Amino acid sequence: MIALITLFVTGLITLFVAFTRKPLLVGIIATIGLIGGLFGLMYESRYGIRLFPDYHGLNFDTTAVMFSFICIIFTTLLVWTGFKPLTENENHAGDHIALMIFSLCGALIMTSFTDFFMFFLGLEILSIPVYVLAGMKKSDALSSEASLKYFLTGSFATGILLFGIAWIYGSTGSFDLLEIKNAILNSTHNSSLLYVGVLLVLASFLFKIGAVPYHFWSPDVYAGSPATIMGFMASVVKIAAFAAILRLFTDTFDSISGVWGPLVLGVSVLSMFVGNLSAIKQTRVRRLLAYSSIAHVGYALLAVVTFDSVETTTYHYNVYYYLLAYGLATIILITAENIINDESDDIENWVGIARKNPILGLFIIMAILSLAGVPPMMGFFGKYLIFSQAIYDYPYIVAIALLNSGIGIYYYLKLIVKVLRKPYEAPKFDKLIICSLQWIVLIISGVLLLIGGFLLLLF
Amino acid sequence: MEGTLLNSGVSLQFYIILATIIFCIGVLGVMIRRNAIIILMCVELMLNAVNLLMVAFSNYHGKGDGQIFVFFIMVVAAAEATVGLSILVLLYRNRKTVDIGLFNKLKD
Repeated sequence: MIALITLFVTGLITLFVAFTRKPLLVGIIATIGLIGGLFGLMYESRYGIRLFPDYHGLNFDTTAVMFSFICIIFTTLLVWTGFKPLTENENHAGDHIALMIFSLCGALIMTSFTDFFMFFLGLEILSIPVYVLAGMKKSDALSSEASLKYFLTGSFATGILLFGIAWIYGSTGSFDLLEIKNAILNSTHNSSLLYVGVLLVLASFLFKIGAVPYHFWSPDVYAGSPATIMGFMASVVKIAAFAAILRLFTDTFDSISGVWGPLVLGVSVLSMFVGNLSAIKQTRVRRLLAYSSIAHVGYALLAVVTFDSVETTTYHYNVYYYLLAYGLATIILITAENIINDESDDIENWVGIARKNPILGLFIIMAILSLAGVPPMMGFFGKYLIFSQAIYDYPYIVAIALLNSGIGIYYYLKLIVKVLRKPYEAPKFDKLIICSLQWIVLIISGVLLLIGGFLLLLF
Repeated sequence: MEGTLLNSGVSLQFYIILATIIFCIGVLGVMIRRNAIIILMCVELMLNAVNLLMVAFSNYHGKGDGQIFVFFIMVVAAAEATVGLSILVLLYRNRKTVDIGLFNKLKD
């Protein structure tokens, strides 16, 4: 709660500081606020302080603190890496960063809600600023097209979600997750209304995380919106949505997992295949990343389904670790996109990066290897954790997932070869300008990706 | 699910049927219509169907929280409509159309 209030106030102050038209000041205040929020979160979880003891709508338990923690860190890294494009127009320098911070407030609510009121508000506070941010480049028709597509699919998903919540309320008579859980457990036969509601809520979630068959919007939106915002959608929004899935489906609707479990499993397999097979023939970097993110959602959903064979903290931890690895790798690639800063976003522009700037090339290759799941990078351990849990219940599905990792390695390696290759013709851009903030982001994410696997040994 | 709602002679199932019909009209509108403004209105229709359902269930259970949820939905719907219309204005300035069939530049 302290973190939430700190971040909200930071967002407000950032908006007002922007009147001074000093982007640097805005950046410094936003950074202080974000790090303050991080400390607030740790302070609160460490000493078990509740700001409003009578209010039970938000509960920052261990899972919520874990997921909120990486949401805040990723937002900070994204604000740093996208500082230049975000504050390009100094009249709007504060707006973009403030909207990102407000969206982060929604993400924190999504990780910690205990009733449907807060869940719905959190989802909307998370989504609405991102609709606006996707259309950040006002004169760019592609950016506003991406914004409209994201808005229409997002608000349609909201409508479906609300319809689902209404059915759940109708059959259980409560919005509180604990009461709903007890109502489902105590009734001898649950009405089909409840199942309809749960499936509608599930469908809207699959929309939000961009899983097959509701993935059609994500390549377009990712390709059209600015790189930094694409990174925000791929990391923070997905992490918050997965935290909410864990809390809703595996914690609340666990007794009726026979209804939604097989569906999620099917969606997981479909997402892997569609994501990986479509990524092979992409010629633009961000579209490739969008399809690869669909595949990664598939792997993470596999961890959600295997919840009943393990104890609560284990699968929470598996999903968390996997998304952390995915988010760090995405942030490195987004930083590279920001550095190259090419409108056409053609994959050929990545040819020979490693020859122009070997250290940047090294970071990019580390990120791609992590996405592909090659040891010793963090992505490998994330996949290992998920597959080693799932193999007891679904050995065939794990075989399919491994096959998909193989397909994934094909196009990831193709990208690595492009980064390393000598350019055939004279390159369009001579020098890569990397500012110090972007170096910091690259180093933090790169080091975490490298040592993340070894941190696992400590637990 | 039977029984008559408080202070009205209409039973719950009619509310459920009406809300479902309105919701389905909204969903069909989003899927079929090409004009972005009408799609926006259809989304609002979906949300209002949910409002009706919430109030009916709230009355059926004899609890007030469903009706409070309706206020949350109304506030969020207003915020969404604001953002949606401003995105549409932005897009109209850039492309001079609101036909979603023509917004296909990202596809290639």
